[in-house]
Amino acid sequence: MNKWIEKGLRTGVVTTPYPKGRDEAAGISPGLPDAGAEVQDDNNTIASRCPTDALQPTDGPIKVDQRRCIHCFRCVRNAGEPFPWDSGFEWASLMSEASVFPPSFRRSLHIRVIDAGDCGACLNEVKLLNNPYYNMHRLGFFITPTPRQADVLLVIGPVADHMKIPLLKAYEAMPDPKRVMAVGVCALSGGVFRSGFIVGSGVSDLIPVDVEVPGCPPPPLAILHGLLVLAGRSEPHQFIEPANPVEGGVR
Amino acid sequence: MRIDELIAQAKVIWEDALEAAFNISPQEAEFHCKPDRMNEFCNWLHHQKIYHFAGMIVEERSNRWDIHYLFYEEGVAVRILVKTGGPLDQKSFQSISRTIHAADWYEREAEDLFGLVFEGHPRLGDFILHDDVWQEGVEPMRAGFNIGAALENHKPKRDWRPRRIVRAPGSFIMPVGPVYSGDAESVHFHLETVGEEVIRVFPRLFFKYRGVEKIAEGQSVDEALLLAERFAGTTAFSHALAFCMAVEKIGPTVVPERAVALRVFFAELERCRHHIGVIESICNSTGLAVAASQAAILEEDALRLACELAGHRYLFGLVVPGGLSCDLDTDRCCQAVNKLKGIVQRLNDLDQALTASSSFLDRIEEVGIITESQARDYELVGPVARGSSYCNDLRRAQPYLLYDQYDFEIPCEQEGDGYARLRLLFAEVNQSLRIMDQVTENMPTGPVSNPYSVSPGAAVAGVETPRGATWHWVRVAEDGKIARYRPITPSFANWHGLHLAVESFAFQDFPIVLATFGLSVSENDR
Amino acid sequence: MGIGLWLLIGFVLYGLGIAAVLTVPSKMCRSMLAGFGVAGSLALLPAGFDALFRAHSFRAALWSIFNAGTITITADHLAGFFLIVTALVALPSSIFAAGQLQTHPIRHPKALSALYLALLIAIPLVIIAADIYLFLIAWESMSIIVYLIITSSERERSAYLMLAIGELGTLSVLIALLLMSGDHGSLTFSALKSNGSNLGIGLRWTVFLLSFFGFGIKAGLIPFNFWLPRAYTNAPSPAIPLIAGATLNLGLYGIIRINAGLLPHPPIGAGVMVLIIGSATALIGILYATIEDDLKTLLAHSSIENAGIITTALGAGFIFLATGHHTLAAMAFVAALYHLLNHSVFKTLLFMGSGAVEGAAGTRSLDRLGGLLKRMPYTGLFVLVAVLSISAMPPFNGFVSEWLTLQALLRSVVLSSFSIKIAFVTAGVGLALTAGLAVTCFVRAFAMGFLGIARSEAISRAHDASKAVLTPMVFLAAVCLLLGVLPTTVIPMLDRVVVPITGASGTGALVPNFFTPNETGSRLPSDFVAQFHNLGAQIGRNVIPGPGLVVLHRGGTANPVVFAMSTSYMFIMLLFLLAVSGGVVALVVSRRRKVERRRQWDGGVRDLLPEMTYTATGFAQPVRVIFEAILRPQVVEHRETLTEYFRIAIRRRRDEVYLIDRLVLNPVSAATAWISDGLARMHNGRVNAYAGYVLLALLLLLVIASFG
Repeated sequence: MNKWIEKGLRTGVVTTPYPKGRDEAAGISPGLPDAGAEVQDDNNTIASRCPTDALQPTDGPIKVDQRRCIHCFRCVRNAGEPFPWDSGFEWASLMSEASVFPPSFRRSLHIRVIDAGDCGACLNEVKLLNNPYYNMHRLGFFITPTPRQADVLLVIGPVADHMKIPLLKAYEAMPDPKRVMAVGVCALSGGVFRSGFIVGSGVSDLIPVDVEVPGCPPPPLAILHGLLVLAGRSEPHQFIEPANPVEGGVR
Repeated sequence: MRIDELIAQAKVIWEDALEAAFNISPQEAEFHCKPDRMNEFCNWLHHQKIYHFAGMIVEERSNRWDIHYLFYEEGVAVRILVKTGGPLDQKSFQSISRTIHAADWYEREAEDLFGLVFEGHPRLGDFILHDDVWQEGVEPMRAGFNIGAALENHKPKRDWRPRRIVRAPGSFIMPVGPVYSGDAESVHFHLETVGEEVIRVFPRLFFKYRGVEKIAEGQSVDEALLLAERFAGTTAFSHALAFCMAVEKIGPTVVPERAVALRVFFAELERCRHHIGVIESICNSTGLAVAASQAAILEEDALRLACELAGHRYLFGLVVPGGLSCDLDTDRCCQAVNKLKGIVQRLNDLDQALTASSSFLDRIEEVGIITESQARDYELVGPVARGSSYCNDLRRAQPYLLYDQYDFEIPCEQEGDGYARLRLLFAEVNQSLRIMDQVTENMPTGPVSNPYSVSPGAAVAGVETPRGATWHWVRVAEDGKIARYRPITPSFANWHGLHLAVESFAFQDFPIVLATFGLSVSENDR
Repeated sequence: MGIGLWLLIGFVLYGLGIAAVLTVPSKMCRSMLAGFGVAGSLALLPAGFDALFRAHSFRAALWSIFNAGTITITADHLAGFFLIVTALVALPSSIFAAGQLQTHPIRHPKALSALYLALLIAIPLVIIAADIYLFLIAWESMSIIVYLIITSSERERSAYLMLAIGELGTLSVLIALLLMSGDHGSLTFSALKSNGSNLGIGLRWTVFLLSFFGFGIKAGLIPFNFWLPRAYTNAPSPAIPLIAGATLNLGLYGIIRINAGLLPHPPIGAGVMVLIIGSATALIGILYATIEDDLKTLLAHSSIENAGIITTALGAGFIFLATGHHTLAAMAFVAALYHLLNHSVFKTLLFMGSGAVEGAAGTRSLDRLGGLLKRMPYTGLFVLVAVLSISAMPPFNGFVSEWLTLQALLRSVVLSSFSIKIAFVTAGVGLALTAGLAVTCFVRAFAMGFLGIARSEAISRAHDASKAVLTPMVFLAAVCLLLGVLPTTVIPMLDRVVVPITGASGTGALVPNFFTPNETGSRLPSDFVAQFHNLGAQIGRNVIPGPGLVVLHRGGTANPVVFAMSTSYMFIMLLFLLAVSGGVVALVVSRRRKVERRRQWDGGVRDLLPEMTYTATGFAQPVRVIFEAILRPQVVEHRETLTEYFRIAIRRRRDEVYLIDRLVLNPVSAATAWISDGLARMHNGRVNAYAGYVLLALLLLLVIASFG
């Protein structure tokens, strides 16, 4: 047994400096189209390359809808002028100030993950939050098996029809105050499955969402950022309007 | 057996059953069989001629049903499509699953989605569309499917009862899921038990059914590629590759050599990363925290490596019809292989440490045993099959890309237990590294993609994903849109066989067996 | 009024009751049953107390029988105690029986009522019989009445088995009694007693063995208890509380009466035998109770278990008696009698609960029950009290008596013989295991019956039983609590029974009056008392007046270990803590927090169906696995498949033949069948063969005669 202890100790500390410092290791994020980029697109050439309407032509510069970008890279690869790319990961958007947990929850949150039809990649990234690189326990975030003890409902996937009842049941079973975190493009807008007969257009069809983490899949650090935003320990990327305000409205 | 010999032989023996028999390509034969002789003919192919059953594809053409049964032979790259069908108002076909049990779930799926009835199948219904929320008569894959009318039939059915086959005093169902554990994919298990041991397990799948095949209909190839890539994200590259290969076959488009080599490179990189992930979850299931953390570090390293090389941790957006979307210079390939060598070196250290941990081996040895004959009869694929000495790997059996040019082994284990499957994962990672090494050594030069133009037609392509063989069937209509896209996935085959491994086992072994199977729900549910 | 009058009133009332139920219309029959049953029992109760608190035994000669002597009755302290227990059970049981008859009509209510009242006459008669005649008559009528009660509703083979094996027991008891009477010819118990002290060791062993097994059959001791689960399961539910609560005791009464009353004391070996058989009985009983699915059979096995616990304590008493440790013997007997009393109370209550549940839910199978608490809250509450009591949870009565029993066993350290110590340790371990399994068993019984979700239509429509059923349950539940909280009041009473047997008082050891040292002599050393003063033992005296609240074992100088506890204090503390924590919760909740009720988390399944909840079988499965070597289950699995892999059904049958059936009943019945087969073959009809048999018999007789 002691050789395992030795092995563990020998590995040393690999944990990311984030959120105290900056993590600039290679390969931690696939990046997203830069939402702040002022790209004029008169002929709709760039926007038409986007298969999910994440790049929307307007009268002025192209509007980037991060809820829809699935990293197909069609706007940057083999496409003439590449669209400006943001290689960071602090993408989490907040619905409102009220979505942040009250101060007494700052230090620790318990999370129930609901896989509502994801492809496995988002789930894997959530799972990786527990690995030594990200080690979310050090920040007081814990994944719990029961929604009864959960503060955050972390939903991934476009909400397949069969998962609606489990999702609603889990949401109802959570004690107040509770927050919903939609992770991944599928959970935000339905992603590539949006036009399916049995898939909705994201979590906000069913329950009010508090924080959104775009990405397909969002890398672990992006999810971590989302959790920090919920706990009030980090600034959100932006405040946005809910996609589909459900009955009962936004908090 | 050579394909023309087979055709000649079949024509003699099955003269009255076959409507046509011809070869489409040197490696592909097509038989048109009368619906009422299907069972016998498939039986002959499977049991007498030892062709493996790969899957079943149902197509609703403009005026008739086309049902394709895909068989293939090991080693000589022979593929056989047996086609049967009938007018659209014919709803009933012969079931072949009594003789070829692997067809069981394919027929159930077709019954649920197309409304076809397979005579002789004992257990149709309540499969993909759950009977407790969807009333009978919803056939979403039919051409005239009306979602509005379907939703009217979408109401909870209170008198639904789970199917139970265990008849013992005091037996009950231990429900697990669909939301269970900390971070498990959504699936519902009915563990039938009288306490302490699982007598029989029924995985109730398709909680994540997203109707990928239906969404793809009418989409352009480019759009459908996104689906093929994203229905099973952890093996995205392999599935996108299979889709692209099928589309390129319809084209036909020649993929530049450099792209082919890089495709092999990335496919093997994905295999390494996937296997490390499964090793991590096996360590986790036995509660060996240090080993799980070590494996998780390596998995993250592999993910970062992929992101460095291809811009995406799961290799999304990389493969396109005609080649790859971006090039990778050979130097970076070499650096990557060296990095990966470091990862694999540490993985092998982990392997050694695990082999020396008796408490770990106690939990994983002799659990979840699958015998070779079971693996064969269920046509299990991937590491699960190879762990039971059913050594079937499409890279060998149906060489594609450049796999026949590389020197590598298909590892195989005899015992069929959890430990055999674990050893296999370690061995396969090493073989993948060996292939990648050879790829970088002989990297061809040139462009990484050829222009691709859509043309109508249908084709099937097989790829050995990390979890096993996948077959993607694509039919492109005259307008260049997808008419039918049907991925046959390895998890679908292996979920079918899971119950064999969990019969009469202690409760506490269940998560371990599940982890050693390395199943993906999203790949199965599509 | 004296005991004789009370007894007379009781018997007359019961007799009148029989006449009444037979004459009045069927509709009024049950009120007659309840009225006369309660009235008779109310008369029996003072009779018992009178007998217990008299200085000298009551004795009355009734009438003479030609050539055989006088029929006499007597009521010493022991009899008084058993009369009280009987009355305590009979009183609520009569009301319950009437209530059951009202809600669940049976085929012959009149016959059942008459038999019930007749049983109420027979039981006290057994207790007060003072000679072999009357004893036998009462004993036999009791057996036959129980047999008739069981067969009254339907013909049951189990009743025949009970009667047959019961007759065997009677026979062996009779032989034992006759052996004791010796050549004197007098068949009164006093004659037996005076004769008893003169018996030789061989004869004493014979008498012990015959009587122990004879009475053991009635008490449900191994190896002859195979009749009991069968008979109890099939007994009609109005009568089973009485049968289980009162008749089982008579077997134990017989063992005490002969070994500790008529004989001075049994040999040490006999005591060890009682000890071991008792603990083995307890263990086997609870083991089968834990895995049993049928609620009534479960309770029957649990009766066996409790008879075993009582017998173990008796065995300890016999050994201490034989080795001259009179105070310890007194302690052991007090423990035995206390447990006997407790068992009668809570087992009666449990059988009432099972009757009510069966009536409401239509089934006794624990696998099919469930969720009854919401539908039958009161029944559930009282059954919970009984379950806590039988699981030996303070502050209820089972705790006190099991604690005393275990303490008595622990005191075996004073014994000198190593082998006897081993026997004690074995018995102690057996009892500890029994106590643990009992908790499992009754948690399972209660949880599977009352908690969870309803597993059948009938249950979701069930409702609490009538007042006639609930009232006796309230009464018994209250008695459970009182017996648990006031052991210091009960123990001196039991001591009155024990002192004549052992010649020493258990009270001094168990309930020391060191709180009142000024009164007639505390036998405790003053420094010891002072120590307890410092520990705060006196507090109770200021809070609750009484002769002392601590049940205590005082180790001697050789063994200065002190075991002390007080269920009374415990109960007060419990109430206090409950009040405090309830108050705190109320305070916190009302001030700061909002209480929300949500559905339980079920993993997100659409509907949590009854078949998805743990069954009683599943709950007991770990016990089954652990004790597989004893249970020896025969598992037959049969897999049905279509072609090779389409599995249609997995049928699994698990047969657990009752250990005693396997080891005793089945071999005996097989042997009997074999012998009768052989005998039948001998009757082959040939004259010369018969002539040969006669010749052989003659030869044999001659040989015997020549040796004799």
